[in-house]
Amino acid sequence: MTAGLVTAPPRSEDRDLIDRIIGEQAGHTGALLGILAKLQDHNRDKYLPMETLEYVAKRTGIPESQVYSVATFFALFNLDPQGKHTVAICRGTACHTRGSRALLERVKLQLGMQETGDGADKVALTTPDRRFTIRTVACFGQCALAPVVEIDHSIRGHVKEQALIREVEALRRERVR
Amino acid sequence: MMIQDFAAFSAVREAGLAKLLPGKPRIAVGMGTCGSGNGAEAVYHAFSSEIDARGLAVQLVPVGCFGFCAEEPLVNVWVPGHPLLMLHRVQPNHVDGILNGLGHGHLPPPEIVLCKIEEWDHLAGHVKYGTGYPDVPNWNEVPFFDGQVKIVLRNCGLINPDDIEEYIAIGGYQALYKVLIDQNPAGVIEQIKASKLRGRGGAGFLTGNKWEFLAKAAGPEKYLVCNADEGDPGAYMNRNEIESDPHSLLEGMMIAGYVTGAPKGIIYVRAEYPLAVLRLERAIEQARAYGVLGDNVLGRGFKFDIETVEGAGAFVCGEETALIASLESHAGRPRSRPPFPAQKGLYGKPTNINNVETWYNVAPIVSKGPAWFTEIGSAKSAGTKVFSLVGKIRNSGLVEMPLGTPLAKFIYDIGGGGTGGRDIKAVQTGGPSGGCIPVEMFETPVDYETLVQLGSIMGSGGMVVMDEDNCMVDVARYFIEFTHSESCGKCIPCRVGLDKALQKLNGFTLGTASQEDLAALDELCRMVRDTSLCGLGQSAPNPVLTSLRHFRHEFEDHILAKRCRAGVCEDLALSPCENSCPLHMNIPRFLELYKEGRIEDAFLSVILDNPLPASTGRVCQHPCDNRCRRAALDEAVNTRDVHRRIADEVLLSDKFDTMVDRVLERRQEPTGHKVAIVGAGPTGLTCAYYLALLGHGVTVYDSRPEAGGMLRYALPEYRLPKAVLDKEIELIERLGVKFEFNVNVGDELTLNDVGQHHDAVFLAIGTWKEAWVYLPGTELTGVIPALPFLEAMSRGEEVPVGKNVVVIGGGNAAIDSARSARRLGADVTVVYRRERKDMPAIPEEVEAAEHEGAKVVYLAAPHRILGDKNGQVRAIEVVRTKLGEFDTSGRRRPVPTDEVIRIACDTVILAVGEKVDPDFCAASGLTIKEAGTLEVDRYSLETSRERFYAGGDLITGASNVSNAMGIGKKAARNIDKRLMAEERFASLMPAFGYLMEVPETPGESGRHVPAEMPAAKRVQSYAEVSLGLTAAAALEETTRCLRCDVRSVER
Repeated sequence: MTAGLVTAPPRSEDRDLIDRIIGEQAGHTGALLGILAKLQDHNRDKYLPMETLEYVAKRTGIPESQVYSVATFFALFNLDPQGKHTVAICRGTACHTRGSRALLERVKLQLGMQETGDGADKVALTTPDRRFTIRTVACFGQCALAPVVEIDHSIRGHVKEQALIREVEALRRERVR
Repeated sequence: MMIQDFAAFSAVREAGLAKLLPGKPRIAVGMGTCGSGNGAEAVYHAFSSEIDARGLAVQLVPVGCFGFCAEEPLVNVWVPGHPLLMLHRVQPNHVDGILNGLGHGHLPPPEIVLCKIEEWDHLAGHVKYGTGYPDVPNWNEVPFFDGQVKIVLRNCGLINPDDIEEYIAIGGYQALYKVLIDQNPAGVIEQIKASKLRGRGGAGFLTGNKWEFLAKAAGPEKYLVCNADEGDPGAYMNRNEIESDPHSLLEGMMIAGYVTGAPKGIIYVRAEYPLAVLRLERAIEQARAYGVLGDNVLGRGFKFDIETVEGAGAFVCGEETALIASLESHAGRPRSRPPFPAQKGLYGKPTNINNVETWYNVAPIVSKGPAWFTEIGSAKSAGTKVFSLVGKIRNSGLVEMPLGTPLAKFIYDIGGGGTGGRDIKAVQTGGPSGGCIPVEMFETPVDYETLVQLGSIMGSGGMVVMDEDNCMVDVARYFIEFTHSESCGKCIPCRVGLDKALQKLNGFTLGTASQEDLAALDELCRMVRDTSLCGLGQSAPNPVLTSLRHFRHEFEDHILAKRCRAGVCEDLALSPCENSCPLHMNIPRFLELYKEGRIEDAFLSVILDNPLPASTGRVCQHPCDNRCRRAALDEAVNTRDVHRRIADEVLLSDKFDTMVDRVLERRQEPTGHKVAIVGAGPTGLTCAYYLALLGHGVTVYDSRPEAGGMLRYALPEYRLPKAVLDKEIELIERLGVKFEFNVNVGDELTLNDVGQHHDAVFLAIGTWKEAWVYLPGTELTGVIPALPFLEAMSRGEEVPVGKNVVVIGGGNAAIDSARSARRLGADVTVVYRRERKDMPAIPEEVEAAEHEGAKVVYLAAPHRILGDKNGQVRAIEVVRTKLGEFDTSGRRRPVPTDEVIRIACDTVILAVGEKVDPDFCAASGLTIKEAGTLEVDRYSLETSRERFYAGGDLITGASNVSNAMGIGKKAARNIDKRLMAEERFASLMPAFGYLMEVPETPGESGRHVPAEMPAAKRVQSYAEVSLGLTAAAALEETTRCLRCDVRSVER
């Protein structure tokens, strides 16, 4: 393990933010989880750049390997920039029984992502133009509304294929600012 | 206001009660996440603005969820002095009406009134709302709530979760107070032990014992953890518990903190539950502000605080050592035990971890004592459990029942049975660590031990109901896919084993698996179970092992027949319609060919898939309609009437001879083999047709003078004109099939004789014995069985039918009898013992009977038949039935009541069921099943005697035409394969060459249905009632098909 950093350090405004968040979490149990979650939330593209992870390690004294291990272990943490819109399909049992796999396949097809992914259902794919991220969630805990899809943090229940396609299409047609 | 003494506590309690039972109306809107998902926020805002606009003195609060999630949004309306009224499916446009009614003492519209609560036992407290509303059922009279015992959910949906005062008002924190005053920690631990409370996360370890370990451990640094990382897909009870009643969780942990000496509690909540996290954090803030948490709890000198930590999306963190690892800022990988958390847990200190729901049971046990708790539930499993009843179930939601309640009660009584008229097949319990329990075992009571015996577990309480549209192989694959992707990767059995298991299961769904794969999968799963480091790996194989145990035939279908009956595994079917068709007709192909104007090719396609397309085009029960994906847009494509049109266009025209020649072109070279078929009904005809096409010499024997079986001798002329059937049979004859009529195989010609002169024998004699009803009076003149009646009608013979006919039964034979009797000029009443939706008859036929003037009486069973002094029927007495318990057919058993109705009549037609001829079966020497049908190998259709095959109703019991034909087709394929030692069936079909594209703009019209003869005219003749589709309508219908058979799209 080399002593030097592999990437450029974060800018000073970002460093201040990271320092502040680390300070807030100090003394809390499971602090690293909270730090990474908040940093990701503050990030414009909702992800954790390598320089952020390295800086967190430096400032908290937690070994880089451990920070990286936590960042890669948990599904919530993204190491790549996320799309402007997120379509999250629930792949819980009740939703699966009510056809959420077909919804996932349909959205992938609609956004031209059908070939990507390794064939597993657990998915976090971002379109090349970074307008959309398609992901799956193991279970939202909204089983009475099965099948469930969350579009940009808004939960939709009893989702029908046509309704989903229309909504995604509407987002796609929005002017890019 | 800091509560430092009892006076302050009482003051807060009074304040809370004044809010819960104000001197003015109170409206409480259920605002859990599922309420919000169903529009509760809009309802809340509508109330809010309307109340403001009108300046009403009405209190509006948010509450949690009462549990009936399928009926959200739920709204409670309370007017002082009256019961609490619970409304369901409330929408913003109901708000005006509800508010208007308040002022005048009117109830809201009945369609939104669910139930009432007159008083409620909060276990640590009691609330009396008021009596009244006699016409509104009590909450526990609603089937969904009948039998529920709300201990864990005692406050959910009734109090405002964001208000600690309401919690204290109903008795909250009194148990904690008592514990702090009594100062007897060991005593409380004994209470918890005596209650036999077991961990509600699934492992079921005795909570009291765990607390005792922690109490005895050396302090002062000890931790209590609440595992709210509810990761089981399909389970969401913890989410609701926290969102609706966060303080109960805090109180439980605080009591434990005091008695075990732990000063700190940590609640680990899934990040996917943002509302639960928010409500919890607010509750903690309020508890601190009121002195209930902090350095001096309730002024008793006890120090305790609670912190929340959000998870980050790892299912494995539900395992306690993995959870601890993530709390220590490591990746959530489990650790070996021992040492157990009670000895070395968080930061190496003694730690006790309990599931959310376990904590909710603590305060009630302290308040009411352990004896009360043990009286509920079963011997080894005291108390209740909250279950999430979801999936293909009508009433979806959270159900709290005493442990030991049978599954059937959950599914049928509380859940209300299946959705969309589908048969329930299984219920999956215990999440990814559990398994699927088949419908035959629904009598099993639900508790920790009983489900383990079936290979599943109770787990966190998830119950996902599955019906005939779910494929159990796909479900097994789904769970392995889940656990595999959630595996932490630390140990090889789980990391590599589940990956291999997934690959194997993929093979099943793609049709590439073999019998060896089945054995390998079983062995692999056992290995993973026995050698994995933690609970995730150890239990991940359970869904596969239980599916292999209880649904092995589905796996075998996927391997041996390469079929997925549920229609889920798309690679095993051409299209959903093709998969559901018993003959597996290539439906998209003939629709496309007809669309392209190629009538002859369309006919050839149809006739090579189905030798009786005109007959089935009239009487098939069309399972394709239930699977057509067009139904997701508007309505299913009317396939049946299109192939009827195609068949009619050729069979009844001068194109017939040309087409016969084209069919003959497909006939293979003569093989020299001879096959005998016994029974010239649809099964036998189909088998004969295909065997003849494959080049074999076929002879069909039948006891009657003409071919057709029930198509000729039972189905009436106005449903199936015999001229049509004659043409279909003519085509079969011209293929070289020989018929020997008026021969009774079994009598003048024995099976041995037949066997001697043929290389294979196919038995398809159907079910011609009418089941008898044993009642007083059935010996009277005028009581006739349906089949002989229908047969006599078909032969044009005299029938002994009077002017007033009663038909007993609900199947097609009953309806056909009713419609025929109408045409004989009689008044007809059909008597059926269940409800209309349970009738086996095709729904359009029942409607047609009603249009033709037949009356149908439901929920009535025959009791006795009365005769006059000449021994002639003069009346029948029927007994009203009511529907009792569900049986394994998914229908309620009719139970007789005391009410007897007399119907005057002179004829009674019995159509209660058709059975296989038991004498034939007995004399045949072949193995018979318990139901009286012949036993055959599931895949080859061979009987217990070599070279003797059987099919149709003879092996299935009374079924329908297309099922019978499908078996005949399969039998021909198998017999040919046996005789020729190769698979030749596919070569019968030519390549058609047609467009393989999904239509850019599919036809926009709705579904076309054929015109019918006006009802008034119908009973005056036997002319065909359904006039079929016009050419134009049929053509338009074909444009509606979405071409589900097209797989890859070139862009």
